[in-house]
Amino acid sequence: MHEMGIASSVIESVLAEAARHPGARVTKVGLRIGELAGVDQASLTFCFEALVKETELESAILAIEDAGCDELDLTYLEMEE
Amino acid sequence: MERVPLERKVLSENDRIAGELRARFAQRGILVLNFISSPGSGKTALLERTLEAFPKGTRVAVLTGDIQTDNDAQRLARYGFPVRQITTAGACHLDARMIERGLEGWDLDQLDLLLIENVGNLVCPTSYDLGERAKIVVLSVTEGEDKPLKYPGIFHKAELMILNKIDLLPYVPFKAELARECANRVHPGIEILEVSCTTGAGLDVWQAWLEERRRAS
Repeated sequence: MHEMGIASSVIESVLAEAARHPGARVTKVGLRIGELAGVDQASLTFCFEALVKETELESAILAIEDAGCDELDLTYLEMEE
Repeated sequence: MERVPLERKVLSENDRIAGELRARFAQRGILVLNFISSPGSGKTALLERTLEAFPKGTRVAVLTGDIQTDNDAQRLARYGFPVRQITTAGACHLDARMIERGLEGWDLDQLDLLLIENVGNLVCPTSYDLGERAKIVVLSVTEGEDKPLKYPGIFHKAELMILNKIDLLPYVPFKAELARECANRVHPGIEILEVSCTTGAGLDVWQAWLEERRRAS
């Protein structure tokens, strides 16, 4: 069960990026996860939701795109002013 | 709504540290191998047999990861080479920072081989680069032949698959040929060695593989 660690890494990167856009609220986090990445998407989503609860990322949702190899990439952020 | 493209690896911080480690290892010509398997397939036994065969003065060290206990480090320390236990306290894998800390105080200039025994787990260790030259996956004949299909990630990434416990083949329904086929389906051309750490069968071939890699690094 390393999805908690993966979710924490995602959140760290998102917070770092969000800090460069003051006043904006992150609404969506784009990820690309390959079938060989060894990451369970449902479990990752569960961990992410648990970790962002009552934080500035509470309204952010994960948008996961499937990929064919071992990709585990943060692809984009969507923000609202 | 504003979309900001990022295109970076989720584990970029781990990868950054792993990259630094890889550079330190390369600079000194240290061959680093990351052993991954399910619990009980014989990683520690393989390392014991490997250390046992090295002449005194071989420049080898071992980092061994477990969730709890230093039992493996105690087993491996008997052979007189530097061994350190990394206890992850719950984490199901080693990451690059743990390796960085595990190496603290060791003079890397005194090494040319570092063996890393990951936490017994076929899934999570696969995602974390430790700065190694190669991942080696250990499978044993008391498991299913279709493990490579069930856990494709590690069999895809591993350069070598070691099939252990072949002394038990007459007593278990395991078909080595089928396991090879499954591994090749996930990773065409993957190198496969068959060994028994109990009888010593095939260990000469493994040692030759290791020697060849050491000479090349």
